Amino acid sequence: MDERLCVNPVWPCAMTGACSVLAGISGINVLIHGSSGCYYYPRSLLKVPLFSTYLLESEIVFGTVNRLREVVSNLSTSNKPIAILNTCIPALTGDDLSGAFPGGEGIFVDAPGFIGNVEKGAKIAFDSLGIKTDPSREGVNIDGVSLLDLFWRGNLHEAERLLSQMGIRVAVRFAKDSYENLRQGAALHTISVNPSYPSGIGTMLGSFLFPDLKETCANLADAFPDSDTEPVLEEWKQAEEQIFYSADKYLRKYEPPVVAVCAQESYAVFAKTMMERYFGSEIPVILARNSDAVSIPCETDLTKITRHIADCSPDLILGSTFEANAYPNAAFLGITPPDRSRVSISARPIAGIEGGILFIENVLNTLIDKASLKQKTNK
Amino acid sequence: MAGCTLTGALSVACFIPGAVTVVHAPNGCAHQTFSMLHALMNEAETKIVPEILVSGLSDKDVIFGGEACLSQALDRAAEKHPELIIVVTSCVPETIGDDCLAVCREHAFADRTLYIPTSGFLGGRAKDGENAALIGLSTLAAPAESIPGTVGIIGEKNLESEVEENFAEVSRLLDLLDLTVTVRFCRNAGIADLRKLGTVSCFILRDGRCADAGRELGKRFNRPVIGEFPRGLSGSIAFLQETGKACGLSADVIAEAISKETEHQKMMLERFANLSESEVCLGVEPFEGTLAVAREALKRLGMTESPEGIKVRLPFYLPVGVSGTMKMLYLWRRAILHG
Repeated sequence: MDERLCVNPVWPCAMTGACSVLAGISGINVLIHGSSGCYYYPRSLLKVPLFSTYLLESEIVFGTVNRLREVVSNLSTSNKPIAILNTCIPALTGDDLSGAFPGGEGIFVDAPGFIGNVEKGAKIAFDSLGIKTDPSREGVNIDGVSLLDLFWRGNLHEAERLLSQMGIRVAVRFAKDSYENLRQGAALHTISVNPSYPSGIGTMLGSFLFPDLKETCANLADAFPDSDTEPVLEEWKQAEEQIFYSADKYLRKYEPPVVAVCAQESYAVFAKTMMERYFGSEIPVILARNSDAVSIPCETDLTKITRHIADCSPDLILGSTFEANAYPNAAFLGITPPDRSRVSISARPIAGIEGGILFIENVLNTLIDKASLKQKTNK
Repeated sequence: MAGCTLTGALSVACFIPGAVTVVHAPNGCAHQTFSMLHALMNEAETKIVPEILVSGLSDKDVIFGGEACLSQALDRAAEKHPELIIVVTSCVPETIGDDCLAVCREHAFADRTLYIPTSGFLGGRAKDGENAALIGLSTLAAPAESIPGTVGIIGEKNLESEVEENFAEVSRLLDLLDLTVTVRFCRNAGIADLRKLGTVSCFILRDGRCADAGRELGKRFNRPVIGEFPRGLSGSIAFLQETGKACGLSADVIAEAISKETEHQKMMLERFANLSESEVCLGVEPFEGTLAVAREALKRLGMTESPEGIKVRLPFYLPVGVSGTMKMLYLWRRAILHG
C-alpha cells in the first residue's frame, strides 16, 4: 500500500506554513492567490488579516493574472509591500504571474500545498523574503517563532527576557517582526525557541529549550564577550533544583509515567529529554509531525499514530488533542496544535527557563488530576 | 461556513456512520476539514471524529496523474468493508484531468461506491459542496409511501457549534404538532436510516443554503419542503403553521400548538422584564435576518432602539426559535446591566 495514503492527516500543508511566516511580519499585506477554501483555513488558524484573490473556475480557464493584477492594484493603495502566496491550482496551470507586479514591489512565494508540509512552506517563505545578514547589525536573532506554535508568544517573551538579562540585544524575530526591521538585515548570530521552524538566517548558536540552554549560553558568551550569562545560568540551576524537588515528590507516591510523545521534532525531543531526566520515564512512542525530522520517525496519519499509542498503553500523552481524543485513557498535555483541551489565552512559554518549569508543572498537574480522577471512579 | 466544495461535501459525508469517505486530494486539503471537525467535535464534547481517507496527491502525481492514488485509496477503504464509500475530490485532480468517475466505476467495490464530483473550488463554494453531497446521497433512498406524522430534516450544519441546540428547538416545536423527526439527512444517521428518506411526509431544510438540495429532493419524492428553521419568535409561530399545513394536520391541532407556543414565549420573555424601557443601539447586521429578529424581541420586551442607546451586539448567526432568541437576550442583558 502506498505510504502517501493517509487517514485523518494531522499536519497542514506547505501553503499554510508559508502563510504563517508571512502573516507574522507586520507592514506587509499577505495575499493568497487561490480559492476561498485555501484562504479560509490559514485565516481562521492564524487569526490575522489576510487577503485573497478568491479565484473562481472561470479565472482558471482564462488565466489568473488579470485577477491577481486587479487585487494587487487595489492593495497597492495601502502603500505596503505585498507578499503573494501561490496555491495549488495557479501553480499547476503555469500562469506567468510576474506580470501582476507592474511596480516590481512584490514578494512572490511559490509554496503550493501539494509540495509538502508546513515546514517546507515556511522555509520557502523565508527564502523568498531574501533576508540577508549584516555584520554591522548588533545583537542576536530569535528564530523559531511561528504563529502556528501554541507557545509562540510565551517563547518570544521568555527569549527576550533571558537575552535582556545577558545584556544581548535582539536584532530580528523570525517570524514576528516588522518588515522594516527585516529589511535592515539580520544579525550574524541566531538562537531558536523552536528549531523545527528554521529560517536558515544567521549562524545558529543553539536552542533556548530548557535542556539545551546551558550550551547555548556558552555559545552566546563566546559570540558576545561583553555579555553576562551567569545570572541566567544561576536561574537555570535553581529552576532545575525546583523541578527535581517536585518530580521527586511525585515519584514518592507514583511510578514513573510511561509517555507517548507526538510533536514537531524539536518539541518531541525536548519532551522526551525532560521526562527521562526528571521522571525516569519510559518513552516507547516518539513521533514527529515534520517530515524532515532526522532523529525520530515522522507520522501524520492519525490512525497509525493511534495504533502506536494504543500498543504501549501510556500514562501520559504529550501531543495534540488529535491523539488525546483517539486514546482517552491517558492523561494529556498539549504541546503541539491543536490543543482543544483547554481555553488558552495567556502567553505560555515552552522554551527558556520558565518554559521548562511550566512544562514540568503542567505534566505534574495533569498526571495528578488523572490519578485522582481514577481513584474517584474506582470508589 | 466559508471554504470550497470539499469542506462543504465533507461536512455532510463525514456524518454517516458505516460509510468511509475518500478524499482525492493532497493531504493538506483534507487536514483543513479534519481539523475543523476536530475543533467542533471538541466544542460539542464529542470526541469521536470520523475517518477521512486521503489519496495524498504529491508533486509527482500532479505531473504523472493521480488515478492510481485514488484506486489505492479505494482499496484501503474497501479493506474496512464499509456499507458505503463516498468519494469527493479537490481542485487538484480536476485540474490534472484525473478520470475519477472511471476509477470508481472500475473498482471492485463499485456497487457500494458513491462518487460526488465536488472538484474543490472549481465546483463552487462550500454551499455547493453541501448541496452536491445531499443530492448525491439522496440517491440511496427510493421513493416510498409517506408515513403520517414524520418529518425529515435536511442539511443541518454539522460544523455549527450549536447544531444540537438548534435541533432540540425544532424538535420542541414539532412535538407541539405531534410530529417526529425520523431522518436527519445527514447527521449521524446510518445508511439504513438514510434509505428511509422517501417515507417522511415533509422535508424541513436547515436554511436557504441547502435550497438546491431541497428543490431536488422535494421533486424526486414529491413532498412539501419547509424552507428553513424558524427565525426568532414570530418565526416559530409561522413555522408551526407552515409545517402543520404541509403535514396535512387539522386547523384545530395547529391552533392548539400555536396557543401553547404563545404561552411558552410569554413565560420565557418574563425573564427579561427588567430590560423594559431600556434604550439600545443594535448596530450593523452581521447576518441577514438577525436585525428583524432582534427588533421583534426589542418590541416585545418594551425596549427602544436609538443611536445613543447602549450598544448591544447582534448575533453573527440567525437565532433559531425561542431558544436562539434567548441566547441573544442573555448577551443584551449582560451589556445593559453590567456594561
